[in-house]
Amino acid sequence: MNTSAERILTPARAGREAVIWEMQRNPNVFFIGEDVVHMGGVFNTATGLAKEFPGRVIDTPISEEGFVGIAAGAAIAGMRPIVELAFADFMLVCLNPLANYAAKTHYMSGGQFKVPLVMMVGAGGGYNNGAEQSQCLYALPAHFPGLKVVVPSNAYDTKGIMHAAIRDDNPVLVMYHKATMGVGWLGPAIPTTLSQVPEEDYVVPLGTASILRQGTDITLVGLGWTVHQCLIAADALADNGISAEVIDLRSLVPLDKATLIESVGRTGRLLVVDEDYLSYGVTGEVICCCVEHDIRMFKSPPKRIAYPDVPPPASRSLEGRCMPSHDKIVAMAHDMVHS
Amino acid sequence: MSGTSIEISSDLLADEQEGVVTMWLYNDGAHVTKGAVIAEIMVEKAQMEVLAPEQGVLRILVPAEGVICKGAKIGEIDP
Repeated sequence: MNTSAERILTPARAGREAVIWEMQRNPNVFFIGEDVVHMGGVFNTATGLAKEFPGRVIDTPISEEGFVGIAAGAAIAGMRPIVELAFADFMLVCLNPLANYAAKTHYMSGGQFKVPLVMMVGAGGGYNNGAEQSQCLYALPAHFPGLKVVVPSNAYDTKGIMHAAIRDDNPVLVMYHKATMGVGWLGPAIPTTLSQVPEEDYVVPLGTASILRQGTDITLVGLGWTVHQCLIAADALADNGISAEVIDLRSLVPLDKATLIESVGRTGRLLVVDEDYLSYGVTGEVICCCVEHDIRMFKSPPKRIAYPDVPPPASRSLEGRCMPSHDKIVAMAHDMVHS
Repeated sequence: MSGTSIEISSDLLADEQEGVVTMWLYNDGAHVTKGAVIAEIMVEKAQMEVLAPEQGVLRILVPAEGVICKGAKIGEIDP
């Protein structure tokens, strides 16, 4: 009997499995970040790694610019570091090694150096952690040419994307939403984040979106946690006779424009749902790539739901109002279809 | 024929302490191999693994989000 096919994993566990597989086979892969040795990472990205790979899992001081710089340098010199950065907000204190060294060295050296760096980045709110530990900031690294940015939303994709990221010769940011990881102290796992995960290795190619649910009236596009809000909304919309297609963006850079355009071409309506800030962000980029392709395919103006342009409030009631939600998606999709 | 108990090791919890089953990695009725990680439990925000004591068919007694105490039996493995 095939037991592995029945095995259900959380994204945290599935991602770890890919890291372990790669570390077992490639001595150049190492893992570095805050609280990764004893704690196993704030969101369990490194649980048990230090025991299995002594000397190759490195705890760092609270000095992001330092250890991201170490990792970028090691990658340029031929190693394959995996950096754990528990909070996307901390990208702001390591932007120089990230956006200058990791992103640009391949270009500035005329292709002589590669930077096979992976950075796992915890993102998102919903835990009343305040403005410095709740942001998504997906669009920030996606803005810098030279970085690949992916956002898996479930266990199967997390494992396949981690394999692809570690094997990629470019710097890749794997941004995971805290609420999708299946970490016990953050509450029960979201059912649609759990997947049956094969024990063998496999790759989910970077730069591919995934159609999670087919529909004919409207295309809902989400990433990370908002994918699961879109899926709940699609169920509710179906009860009201509206057939919603749900696309998991999975990758911001490269952006899978073909899948987006093909879907909107069929449904004629596009609603993009993001937990990163509204202005100058992911929602605008996704809408723009479809509008630029052919504005005539739209039956109604494309819409977006994103984080309002305010730093995340710590107050539970205020943060709840700022977050995208399936209720907001249902209301807006309803308006779009019946406008 | 009765199965092999899946019990929470008595040294994981103090007498009055409670924990929770955070998830099962297999559905009820799945075939599991001895030593496989089959469940995750949490005690005081620390997550721990539960391994299959035997191979066989998993019978879940305490579902995900169920509360556990010292020495709790959370499931069985049927031969």
